[in-house]
Amino acid sequence: MQIIAMILSPILALIIGIFFLGLSRKMMARIHWRYGPPWTQPIIDIIRLFSQKSVTHGHLFNLGLILSLAGSIVVILFIPVGRIHPLSDSGGMLVILYMLLLAPLGLALSGGEAANPNTSIGISRQLILALGYEVPLLLILLALMTHYETISIVEIVFRQQYAGWALLSSPLVLSGIGYISIMPAILGIRPFEVVQAPQEISSGPMVEYGGPYLALATIQHALNLFIGIALFVNLFLGGAGNPLFFFIKMLVVFVLGIFINAALPRLRIEQAVQYLWRWPTLLALVGLIVVIVMKSVSAG
Amino acid sequence: MDRNQLNKWLKTPAKMGHKYSLHAVYFCTGCGIIEVPPSITARWDAERFGVLPVATPRQANLFLITGYVSVKTLRAIIRTYEQMPEPKFTVGFGSCPINGGMYWDSYNTIKHLDKYIPVDGWIAGCMPRPEAIFVAVTHLWTLIDKDMADGYKRYRKNYQAYRENQERALGKLEWPPLFSIGGKG
Repeated sequence: MQIIAMILSPILALIIGIFFLGLSRKMMARIHWRYGPPWTQPIIDIIRLFSQKSVTHGHLFNLGLILSLAGSIVVILFIPVGRIHPLSDSGGMLVILYMLLLAPLGLALSGGEAANPNTSIGISRQLILALGYEVPLLLILLALMTHYETISIVEIVFRQQYAGWALLSSPLVLSGIGYISIMPAILGIRPFEVVQAPQEISSGPMVEYGGPYLALATIQHALNLFIGIALFVNLFLGGAGNPLFFFIKMLVVFVLGIFINAALPRLRIEQAVQYLWRWPTLLALVGLIVVIVMKSVSAG
Repeated sequence: MDRNQLNKWLKTPAKMGHKYSLHAVYFCTGCGIIEVPPSITARWDAERFGVLPVATPRQANLFLITGYVSVKTLRAIIRTYEQMPEPKFTVGFGSCPINGGMYWDSYNTIKHLDKYIPVDGWIAGCMPRPEAIFVAVTHLWTLIDKDMADGYKRYRKNYQAYRENQERALGKLEWPPLFSIGGKG
């Protein structure tokens, strides 16, 4: 049973992630008053890319990409999707926090081997941005773990099923708002699209990927999209009883994300870090203090 | 448009992929910077044909040569073309790449682009309207369907002749040959 779940959950994540990529292109086109591509366009692109041949820049160029893909797939195994949670009973959120770093690290290794100046700028921006959103993210997760007194993500989902969503419960609402305000940075959409800025640095870390490499990078991007939204749905929107409701919750969050993406221009990297370390961090810190105070009041 | 015919996708997935996912390298070589942005943005919307501008030649498989080709640009065009992964398609846009156009006696432009890189199709006019890009794209679909868009194969086959022409126009090239010269590559 667990093996079936282990195979099913990355496949489900891949389908949902690629559907989201296609949906975002169609919806962005509609917001621009264009007709737009069919929603299957990412699948067409991936078929085309796999059928092409491209150059490699060395072993680390290949292995780094595989490392980032593997890192994303491992994270997905720890995230419960509805009732499907192959590895969530062991480890919990601390493992997810460590494993989340594998994907950007793999891309950085792979891009660094290509030795393109645009890649170096993109990677340095990616690591700076990660530094920017990891501080509020850690504070938010700390508030959650303190409130629910557990590190297990399954336990947190289970507690929310009868106690109500964490986003709407009184001590965690500030942390929830903080998470919403850093989510564009986690997903890498505008206004935090500094890493893959096609007009500035020729799509950053992706600049040397072509053919099958770009196909794998697109799949990794789709999985990354899934992880960012699935974590929010599990931690703050109470997860779901079955994959269908989970998908509907993810869809709502993602559509709101597309609206933000369509409406806002791109920040510069130092503006992004200034924003991330000011308002979301402040919200997360106040949220953590509120949770601790409420905890000690109810205990004492 | 046979994008939704599943049996064609199952029979020749690679060919259908090349047809409906043409990523154009975003490099306006001559005058075309006025015509290309309207065709990819809200007015004419190239994305409904699957045509998307990308910022790097490694991700692209369609190369629009827009307008006159100066000798300095030819160097960049050749390098960009050689960096694109195969199969790749080139379309000359405007009359200047065809035969020199109004620059036919200029000292600093080349006249026939297809002496230097293989070109799969031409769009005549000075300048053509943005709609002409879509006419070209639909023609390119037909050519890909019939295996007639074989510029990249011709480049591989006649690389020695192309390289000689390039060296005649540019002097000594500072990059090594893409394919082995004289071999049957």
